[in-house]
Formats: sequence, C-alpha cells, structure tokens
Amino acid sequence: MIRSSQDVGAGVFLIALAVIALWQGAGLATGTWSQMGPGMLPRTLAIITGLCGIALVVSALMSDGARLERWSLRGPILILGAAVAFGLTVRPLGLAAAGPIAIIISAFASAETRWGETLLFSLVMTGLCLGLFKYALGLPIPVAPWLIGY
Amino acid sequence: MEDLLGNLALGFATAFSVQNLLLCFIGCLVGTLIGVLPGVGPIATIAMLLPLTFKVDPTGALIMLAGIYYGAQYGGSTTAILVNIPGEATSVVTTLDGHQMARQGRAGIALGTAAIASFFAGTVATVIIAALGAPLTKLALLFGPAEYFSLMLLGLAFAVVLARGSVLKAVSMIVVGLLLSTVGLDLETGEERLTFGLQDLSDGVDFAVLAMGIFGFAEILRNLESPETRDVVRGTIGRLLPSATDLKQCVGPVVRGTSIGGLLGILPGNGAVLGPFASYTLEKKLARDPSRFGRGAIEGVAGPESANNAGAQTAFIPLLTLGIPPNAVMALMVGAMTIHGVIPGPQVMTKSPTLFWGMIASMWIGNLMLLIINLPLIGLWVRLLKVPYRLMFPTILLFCCIGIYSINNNPADVLFTAFFGLAGYGLYKFDFEPAPMLLGFVLGKLLEEKFRQALVLSRGSFMTFVERPVSAGLLIIALLIMVVAVLPAIRKSREQAFQE
Repeated sequence: MIRSSQDVGAGVFLIALAVIALWQGAGLATGTWSQMGPGMLPRTLAIITGLCGIALVVSALMSDGARLERWSLRGPILILGAAVAFGLTVRPLGLAAAGPIAIIISAFASAETRWGETLLFSLVMTGLCLGLFKYALGLPIPVAPWLIGY
Repeated sequence: MEDLLGNLALGFATAFSVQNLLLCFIGCLVGTLIGVLPGVGPIATIAMLLPLTFKVDPTGALIMLAGIYYGAQYGGSTTAILVNIPGEATSVVTTLDGHQMARQGRAGIALGTAAIASFFAGTVATVIIAALGAPLTKLALLFGPAEYFSLMLLGLAFAVVLARGSVLKAVSMIVVGLLLSTVGLDLETGEERLTFGLQDLSDGVDFAVLAMGIFGFAEILRNLESPETRDVVRGTIGRLLPSATDLKQCVGPVVRGTSIGGLLGILPGNGAVLGPFASYTLEKKLARDPSRFGRGAIEGVAGPESANNAGAQTAFIPLLTLGIPPNAVMALMVGAMTIHGVIPGPQVMTKSPTLFWGMIASMWIGNLMLLIINLPLIGLWVRLLKVPYRLMFPTILLFCCIGIYSINNNPADVLFTAFFGLAGYGLYKFDFEPAPMLLGFVLGKLLEEKFRQALVLSRGSFMTFVERPVSAGLLIIALLIMVVAVLPAIRKSREQAFQE
C-alpha cells in the first residue's frame, strides 16, 4: 500500500515537527491580523508544515517513489558523539583534552582508521589548533584549566 | 559618474591599506584551501572561520570573509577540473568539460581559462555593484514593509524553483525554515516562543549553528556513507596560459557568461546557482558543433566559470542595498556584520562609506590576487587533494567545533550543532534539500517583522500587498514563478537541466 517509504517518512517527520511546534506554542496569544500576537505566525507555520506532511504521506500512498534507505548508525553516533564530547569537555578540561577526544572518537567513524596514526595525528592537530586559535588569534578558549589554570 | 569614481577611489584607498591587503590575501588563500578540500563548502567554511575575524575592525573582517567566499568558489572550480568533484553547487557544470580537458592533458589550460574568465567576470561585477549600489539604495528607501515582504516572498519562490526534486518538498523546507526562525523572543512582546524552556534558545537559533550542523556535520556523515571515488588527474598539469586561439574562442562565452551570471546573481533566492547552468546551455546552443561539449570544449569552462563568479559577486547587491541576504553565504555575512555592529541595509552606504566601498574595491583586488596566487600554487592544491579522507574529516570536525564554540564562547552551541547535524542527516535520508530551509530561516525574522508592520499599517487588511503597485508586481512575478515550477512540461525540462 505504501508506494514510497521515503515520502511517508518525510511526511511523518513534518507532521511530528508541526505537532511539537503546536505543543510548544500552545500558550502563546494569537491576536488578530492587525495586532498579531506572538503565537500567530508560529501556529500558522506549524499548521502549514503539518499540511505539507499530510500531502506528502498521501502522495506516497498514491504514486510510486523512492524507498527509504538504510540509516547507518556508526557515522552519526561517532561523529555527533565526538562533537557532543567536545562540547561537554571544552570548558572543564580545555582544548588540550577536548581536541584529541573529538578527533579520536570521530576518527572511528571510518573503517580505514588506524589507532597509532590517529593518536599521533590528534596530538599534532590539537597542537596546531592551540597555536592558531589560542596564541595567534587570542580566542578565549580554555587550554587546560586543570593543569595550567586557564 | 564623478560620484562613482570618487567612491571607488575611497574604496581603493581603504582596500589598499597594508592590513586590508593582508586580510584579503589571507581570506583568498584560506578560502581556496578550503574550497579545494572536498566536502567543505563555503557555508561551513565561513561559519568555521568567523572567529578568525573577531579581532579586526568590521571593514577588515568583511574584506576577509568576502575573500574566503570567492576564494572557496575558485577552489571549487579547481577540484571540479582536477578531480571531477565539484567543490560546491555552482561548479558542477565545470566538471563536464573541465575534467575532460584535464584528462586530455590540458588541465593547466582549463585552470588558466577558469582563472582568467573568473577574473574578467569579477572585474565587471565589481563595476556593476559600484554602479548599481547608489541608485538601488535610493530605491530601497522607497520600499515600505509591504514591498519588503513581497520581495522576500519572491526570493523564496525562486528558491523553490531552483531546488531540485519535488516542489512540495522544497515548499515544506521553506516553511520549516520560517518556523525555525520564529524560535526565540517575540519581537514585540518579548515572550519566549518555542524555546522548550531552554535559556540558550531565547535569542533564537543561531544561524551559524544551524548552517554548520546542516552543512558541515551532515556533509561529513554523507561522505562517510558514500565515499567519493577521487579520480585525481595524474601526470602533468601542463601549460597554464591559454594560447591565442583558445583565448579567441573564449571571448564570446566569457562576455555572455558574465552578463547572465551577473543578472541572475542579483535576484533574491540564490539565483547565482542558476548562472553556470544557463551559460552552459546557451553556449551549447550557440556552438557550431554542439557535440564537442562534454568532451573538453574550452567554451564549456570559460562561460560557466565567468557566470559563476559574476553571480557570486552580484549576490552582494541585495545584501548591501536592501539588507536582504539572497543566499546562505550572504546570511553569514549578515551575522558577521551584526557581530561587528554593522546593520546591513541601505544605511550602510551612507553611514559607513569606507566599509561599503572598501569591500567593493577589495573584491576586485581579491580577484586579482586569486589569479596571481592560484596559478603558481596549483601543485600544492593537487598534493592536498591526496590527503586521505580518514584524516581530513576529524580535522574538519575539530575546526567546526572550535569555530562554533568561539562564536559565543558557549559549549551548548556545539551540542545544538550536533543536534542539527542529526537533523541534516535525516533531511538527506528523506531527500529534502536543505538550501531552501536555510533561506527560509535567514529571511524569516525580517519577513515576520515586515509582515506585521504592513498589517498594522493597513489595520489588518491583506489588500495592502496588492494595492501597492510595486508590491503587487513582485507578488505577480512570484506567483508566475510558482506556476512555472508546477507546470509538468517545464518541470520535465527543469529536471533535465539539473541532470545535465
């Protein structure tokens, strides 16, 4: 019955987005067209988003389209995990630790990565970044608060 | 005319200061470097390098960012020719004949032609911006909220037509972008909207965060999933300077490409991406022997390359005169301007003339620099292309993280970026194109502001948008464009154009 699982997915995604926006904006006043309240546009746009989603689902039931591809887990988890790890460690541990952590975690998203090379590379790259961003450009990014105090 | 010359003189005086020349040079070099690296487009580059400009004055910062922007365009063409990978959307067309030329041992000539064509187009575009800047700014002062609203709507309509694939999906993306732009404090009442109670969202979603997640992170995820086969041209690059016969063949295509690209670039809604396609199609139609195209025709490099560069530069016009960013890169420029306390729009020219004209003059200088620095450095770029992706992507990721963190010194921004990276990966799987969403997001705030202002002025009557002639005209064009996009016959040819 479903003739394009990709479009069904896309439609459901939009509908979910609309529902979330409507729920989050539920308490906002709508107002009138001449004196719009804060909720007017978010609500209108959320409804249009939802309608687009419904239209996509309906079209996916009526006509043939692409199938939804498999989602890989390794890439998203490791790459985005590396960014999250960076965000969580950059303040407490500083760039000297957050840099290698981000590089090493993300590197294993690729099957070609080798341990020794990655370890060495992460240290060299972090050193370069420290030199560039901290010392040459003077950005206020922490280096290693636990070791040298800033 | 005298005004124009005086203004340009002021601009060149500003741009020729040692500091600004150096910034322009660094911008061009870094931009080319990043443009050459596959998988990092100009949007992610500028977002990533925004912190580099924090320490310099606004003029210097914008000169450098502009340098990064057209440096990246240029670098994109280099990879298109040498590796058959377009560094970004606008150099797709260059792969067709450019890479063929490279395989025939004429890589150097293709690169040289691209550089010269780009330089010519850049020069003309600089003059166009300088000439149109002042009159368009005056026009902008006549624009009321209704006209602004209709013009932005026209821009969004263009973005729908220019997106590939389903029209419904493109429209959805724009609406989602608009919806995202409503996150944050309401501009009149100051109430929090759709913030999930998160403090970090009360100022809204940061554009750099969104762009970096959707384009930077999601791009890495896509590349990891379908590794590109890199067909680096082996052997020598050969002579760089085209011969007299080559040059003669290029004159027509370059002039035509420059005019098409320049015109399309002015349109809001990222018309610049259409330039190279239009130029290529035109040259193929005009050619005595169209079968040469796709087999290394030099016109197929010269025309699109000049269109590409002209469009990239005239895209500054809506931003500098009306304060409307026509594409995502220009939106980042808005971000950079705001960080430095400059509000884009018609007042830039009168309030900070050195910034306005200095930036315009630096564009020409930047193009000249690209011509001079790139040709000798091509050997270096080729070597860079051989860096394995397994080392490249962690580096890109680290730079993105540092860049995002440094914009507001806020670690939460990095987490939000990761979230949008996931969202971008989802969009890719659902076959949504992210570019229209970004444009919707970019225009959203201003669109809402003007929409509300217009309706307050008209006491809630929507007739105001059609009663005012300029606004009505813009809306009619927008409507026509949408009709054209939906008509089946034209849709088919549009798909063909994108497949070519």
